[in-house]
Amino acid sequence: MRFRADRDTLLETLVTASRASASRSALSGAAPGLQITLRSNVLEAVGSDPDLVIEARCEVAGEQDGTVLVPTRLVTDIVRSFESGAVSVAGGEEEARFSAGRAEFVVRVAAGAEITRLSSPETSGIDLPAVTFADGLRQVVRAALADDSRAPQLTAVQMQATEKGLRLVATDSYRLAFRDFEGMSALEEGSQVLVPAKALGEVQRLVSQAKDDQDEMIGFRHSDLDAVFDLDGVRITTRLVRGQFPDVDRLVPSSYAYRLRVSREDFASALRRVRLLVRDSKDITTPVRLSFREGGVELQVLTPESGRAVEALEGEFSGEDIMIAFNPGYLLDGVEALRSDLLVIEVNDPGKPALLRGEGEDEYRYLLMPVKVS
Amino acid sequence: MTASGDRLDVLHVDMDCFFAAVEVLDDPSLERRPVIVGGTGPRAVVASCSYEARATGVRSAMPMGEARRRCPSAVVLPGRHDRYGEVSRGLHEVFLEFTPVIEPISLDEAFLDVSGSHRLFGPSEEIARRVRSRVREVLRLECSVGVGRSKLIAKLASREAKPRPSAGGPEPGPGIVVVLPEEELAFLHPRPVGDLWGVGPKTGERLLRYGVRTVGEMAALDKAALERLLGRALGGQLHDLSWGRDERPVQAATVPKSIGHEETFPSDRHDQAELLPEVVRLADSVGSRLRATGLTGRTVNLKLRFGDFSTITRAHSLPGPLFSSLEIARLAAELLSGVDVGPGVRLLGVSVSSLEPLATAGGRQLSLLDLDRAEEAPRRADGPLRAEVEAAVDAIRARYGAHAVGPATVVEAGRGLRVKELGDQQWG
Repeated sequence: MRFRADRDTLLETLVTASRASASRSALSGAAPGLQITLRSNVLEAVGSDPDLVIEARCEVAGEQDGTVLVPTRLVTDIVRSFESGAVSVAGGEEEARFSAGRAEFVVRVAAGAEITRLSSPETSGIDLPAVTFADGLRQVVRAALADDSRAPQLTAVQMQATEKGLRLVATDSYRLAFRDFEGMSALEEGSQVLVPAKALGEVQRLVSQAKDDQDEMIGFRHSDLDAVFDLDGVRITTRLVRGQFPDVDRLVPSSYAYRLRVSREDFASALRRVRLLVRDSKDITTPVRLSFREGGVELQVLTPESGRAVEALEGEFSGEDIMIAFNPGYLLDGVEALRSDLLVIEVNDPGKPALLRGEGEDEYRYLLMPVKVS
Repeated sequence: MTASGDRLDVLHVDMDCFFAAVEVLDDPSLERRPVIVGGTGPRAVVASCSYEARATGVRSAMPMGEARRRCPSAVVLPGRHDRYGEVSRGLHEVFLEFTPVIEPISLDEAFLDVSGSHRLFGPSEEIARRVRSRVREVLRLECSVGVGRSKLIAKLASREAKPRPSAGGPEPGPGIVVVLPEEELAFLHPRPVGDLWGVGPKTGERLLRYGVRTVGEMAALDKAALERLLGRALGGQLHDLSWGRDERPVQAATVPKSIGHEETFPSDRHDQAELLPEVVRLADSVGSRLRATGLTGRTVNLKLRFGDFSTITRAHSLPGPLFSSLEIARLAAELLSGVDVGPGVRLLGVSVSSLEPLATAGGRQLSLLDLDRAEEAPRRADGPLRAEVEAAVDAIRARYGAHAVGPATVVEAGRGLRVKELGDQQWG
């Protein structure tokens, strides 16, 4: 295998594929590397971990077809270290050579090794508008559980066909995010799949990095086991999560006793400020106390060893004074997920979920459980 | 954060006749009468007394019998520790308005480091004035404040700020005494050596043999001589103090390592069923105390001592904060069930460790998925209602005492409710 490539293009391709390259390869048994394959003028880099495969393609000046398996971290670091311009790559049975300018690296390769690939579903798929879908992912993926130690199904985003279209739902059991895409049909009616949030996070990242092309589409198809997302030059294949997603509709209160309307930007800025005093440790996070009262809300963080922070915001609130505490990170996640300028927080009592939504932004809802404080 | 250099950054705030003042606050008919708070037993002592009682010569720590002789007209009260604790927490809240660096010495006394508070509240003397007026406003109680460069000076200064008892009622003191760095030695040296930390009766006696009665006389001694006389550590320390050198920083409250109760049985218990109510009883008290002190823990410990005095402990840690008596009991009972009690248990202990103040413990993140559980089984013992039940129990106990209410498991035929209490013999 031999080719010349533009350094920036090659690096982007390698980095994209490496996002799926198992860092814990020793545990999973997956190949510790990227598989680089050249077919005429198309270079394909494939990274894989047991549940996720990312194939990234770019155009290069091919000289000789072939395939080689290179160590992920080392090779991306090497290419990143090169100055912009042309990079020459030659891969053989035992080593691969990367050179640019006067610099040359010879890297050992794993001869004859192959990386695991997931079976690609044979079903026909549909196209999703990339920018809209990715914006929904940005709003929802954040509510999924980050690690799978407790409940694997909560590390997934539920994609669900509803009467009106497609719905994405994620919850880590503390917060719950819904996003509806009216008129978008990605699944058979009444069906649902659990797609790992990690894979969707990659989809979202790739779309948001690309040019803001409103016409771009994402190809989506799935089988019972796997799902595939086809983006411009990148294919992401992920294993689906099995298991029962909680019946979350029942958790959403049908009504709320009090409602606050406040500038979303002001609220986010104030929250980021008072959060400076938050102590975040493995088990415990200092809560932010929201005191709702006529004419607005006060945010307070209290840490006796460091001090206290208070900020009052003007807003529209009617009802009894009420104090409810939240995990500040979860709260900010919800506020930042919204797009509307006007934030609406609806609450019942300090032990019941609160709803965050944007004025005029009905397609997204973020439900958050409070922190119980004395 | 340390108060250092020549800045007057240390405040010592001391409530005036705290226990007695709280009693007067709660029962205005006691106003201007001699009030003594203390134990009732044969070896009881005075814990606190009003200025009216002091005018007759009654003092803290005086045997109760003597106090009654000196002041036969005194109203003697047994003391309500829970209530004092409650007021003390209010006091702490007031302090927090001014600085986070608070070192409580007891329920009614604390050091404040205000080195970071000047921009907001002005110079230390002004902060002292504000603290006093906020204490008066919020708690309707009086306090005295000493201001100095160090804890030593601040503490002695607050004493000077106190009102003085006299036959015609207390004469108000200055309320605030500020000792400037250049005044320190003049302030310190005429005092008796007993005013310094580390000088007890024994050390005082030894110093007296060398003719040292005042701090000034001590300061005049050579450091090496003082070290020979009192030992290197104490001698060196007192030498420094006598020259007004006290580098100890104001240290924000340290949380105790654990809160627990133990019970030694009159005769060994060989049966899980006999031990279980004791576990509930101890857990109930541990939970109450935990909540009363504003703490939460994450580890439940069970301690068992057998008839042959061999002792074992078992522990279980939770990921989140723990403050429910029931949860403590449940975890302790679970630990107990894993132990063979056949050999006979002489002593049982339940404690909670990995403690943290509730205010900082972050509370407990509630889970959406538990909502189902709560709606289906509102009467379940570990449901959300349980916390409300325990809060109600705490409130009842604060008002009517620990024995007013308790878990049914703890009621014994013929003996009624036996609640394990801390300090049943508080003051003898």
